Amino acid sequence: MNLSQIVQDLGFLTPEILLTGLILLAIIYDLFLTKETSIRTGYLAIAGMAIVLFSLFAQNVEASQGLFNQMVAYDGYARYFKIIITLATILVMWMSFQNDELKNRTIGEYYQLMLVLVFGMFFLVSATNMLSIYLSLEIVSIMSYLLAGYLKENLRSNESAIKYVVFGGVSSGIMLYGISLIYGLTGSLNIYEIQASLAANAAISPALLMLAFVLVFVGFGYKIAAVPFHFWTPDVYEGAPATITAFLSVAPKAAGFAVLLRFLNTTLTLSGDPNNIALESLSNLDWPTLLAGVSAITMTVGNVVALQQTNIKRMLAYSSIAHAGYMLMGVVVMHHNGVSAILYYAGIYTLMNLGAFFVAIYIKNAFNTETISDYTGLGYKAPMIGIAMAVFMFSLTGLPPTGGFVAKFYLFRGLVGVGDTFIWLAIVGLINGVVSLYYYLRVLYFMYFKEMNFPDVYHRAPLQFNILIVIIIIPLLFGWMIGDPLSTWTASATSFFVP
Amino acid sequence: MLEHYGTALALGIVGFLLMYAAFIIQKLVGPKNSTDVKLDTYECGEEPEGETWIQFNVRFYVIALIFIIFDIEVVFLFPWAVVFKDLGFLTFIEVFVFISILVVGLAYVWKKGDLQWVKMKLKYGTGRYSASNLLEKENLKEAA
Amino acid sequence: MGYIESYLALSAILFVLGLYTVSTRRNAVAILMGVELILNAANINFIAFSKFVTHSLDGHVVTIFVVMLAAAEAAVALAIVLNMYNNTGHINVDEANSLKQ
Repeated sequence: MNLSQIVQDLGFLTPEILLTGLILLAIIYDLFLTKETSIRTGYLAIAGMAIVLFSLFAQNVEASQGLFNQMVAYDGYARYFKIIITLATILVMWMSFQNDELKNRTIGEYYQLMLVLVFGMFFLVSATNMLSIYLSLEIVSIMSYLLAGYLKENLRSNESAIKYVVFGGVSSGIMLYGISLIYGLTGSLNIYEIQASLAANAAISPALLMLAFVLVFVGFGYKIAAVPFHFWTPDVYEGAPATITAFLSVAPKAAGFAVLLRFLNTTLTLSGDPNNIALESLSNLDWPTLLAGVSAITMTVGNVVALQQTNIKRMLAYSSIAHAGYMLMGVVVMHHNGVSAILYYAGIYTLMNLGAFFVAIYIKNAFNTETISDYTGLGYKAPMIGIAMAVFMFSLTGLPPTGGFVAKFYLFRGLVGVGDTFIWLAIVGLINGVVSLYYYLRVLYFMYFKEMNFPDVYHRAPLQFNILIVIIIIPLLFGWMIGDPLSTWTASATSFFVP
Repeated sequence: MLEHYGTALALGIVGFLLMYAAFIIQKLVGPKNSTDVKLDTYECGEEPEGETWIQFNVRFYVIALIFIIFDIEVVFLFPWAVVFKDLGFLTFIEVFVFISILVVGLAYVWKKGDLQWVKMKLKYGTGRYSASNLLEKENLKEAA
Repeated sequence: MGYIESYLALSAILFVLGLYTVSTRRNAVAILMGVELILNAANINFIAFSKFVTHSLDGHVVTIFVVMLAAAEAAVALAIVLNMYNNTGHINVDEANSLKQ
């Protein structure tokens, strides 16, 4: 590893370098703005993110690379998640301009912190070394704490930040301890070398290996909000500014899945090559069964608790836990189909969850309520909002004419395709789908069937919001009908870097 | 290996005994004529005032936080400085970039007024430095 | 100074003490101290492994990064705690329950 190699590797990091420049520019620019004009930092940030998006599309990932002594990887898999994250960021920033919670306050830091969060996620999805995984995970976490507590004078926002920081700090500390054990067991931090060492030494005690793995999984599980580590989710989601809740429920979750999948399919498999069609887990560590259990519990807890929620943000928080459970189904199959199903699901989930949150934010702004039972008659009062909410709820349930159905179909197909081992998990997933039908459609019940009063004056949402919602709905509703570009895209995005 | 622990244990026991021996001997032999002044907390010769558990200005924390963040950068500069001669000019540019990013942070802190030692006034909340609490105090003063 | 076991034992004790602190204290600052204990337990592990097992500098590098991260995390966490104190006048985590239903 010499210095010229480092300079050469920098050439593969164009989006990240652009993003770094954007962050610095946003900080410096904001210093010259007042409270009233600080929204301009947001405009700068959204424009900069558009440039980053273009530079991501311009990347040629045919030949994957390990950069900086295999600290991060440059491959199609990472690029796919980076694009999803960038798109989600642009949508959330756009919605943030319309969020009343963020009006009349200094807002520059909000966009700066969000950009740093994106920076962390970019490295998280491409990290191939335990050190870079941990570092980028922490960047993401620390920025999330700050953003959750952004409404300084709001007690609930404050409380959500403090809960987040306590849970996050503890779980990342535990994860670091697990990493240190893995380092001691295998003598390396590079995930490929760890795999080689684990595969070569069958003598490593399974109990110790399991302990180290479980400790590491605490950190990942906290990031994706899998069940034993989900306690922070509802409180943080309810208290944080609504746009940040929407953001936290999609982007860091997708990034968490990206790194979890890369870590598991590389390090804890027999071949160590995640590009293989079918993988086998290490002989002395049966993690697929463990994760299948976590997946079943996660979706069940998420769905059952969501049934009792009256606050829309809390309901969506538990539903996002349930969706993490569904996505874990794709992890346990250890098959090419599972990986591409997760990629597809992450893309669709980003759209539908953001859409649902955006409608909820809009209703909060316009009608000042977050309680589901107060939505009575909204479907007639504001037809656009009602239709949009219906599409997102159908999609989150996984009902046929939407992208959510296709995404769920791929997940189940992947699970059933590998034989009878995980049939039970598929059945649990199906039952959960039925359970979730109740609370998603309950929202629509209040909007349409609770009270049939046709108002004289219709509520008209502003054009900006309508455009945003249409941009989300069109790919969600019609994407899979017209040749399903996302699925061809995910098929090509399952190429991992392997040394 | 075990005998090493034995040595350490013996040392510990002897140390423990010696410490208590000093206390006991002092108790037996020393004269006892305590006064109020002698029993007082020692504060560099000054007369102690108020409780030990006082709340001190929150600005101490803020300054300490800022200090620690900029202090940590030295940890990264030190290993670089040791091998700088062998690495050449390129690493100098890298470190320069690193420091300039931190300088942006410093500029931010400066512009936001957190390097100034002024009393914090918050527009919200009910805590010690909130506007409502400060106003209350002023009113009390005026009343007195 | 040739026993890796003693270092690992020390770090395990620190780790458990950290977990104990985190789970029993209600003061937010005390919880953060527990987190620091956990992080430093991992640091001792890294240093010990890199001295006795791998004989490389990897562990030392990780430790430097973790020290930096711990500082950053502590700064952010203390800022949040300070803000909570300004809002409520206390920093007890279990009294922060306005979000429970």
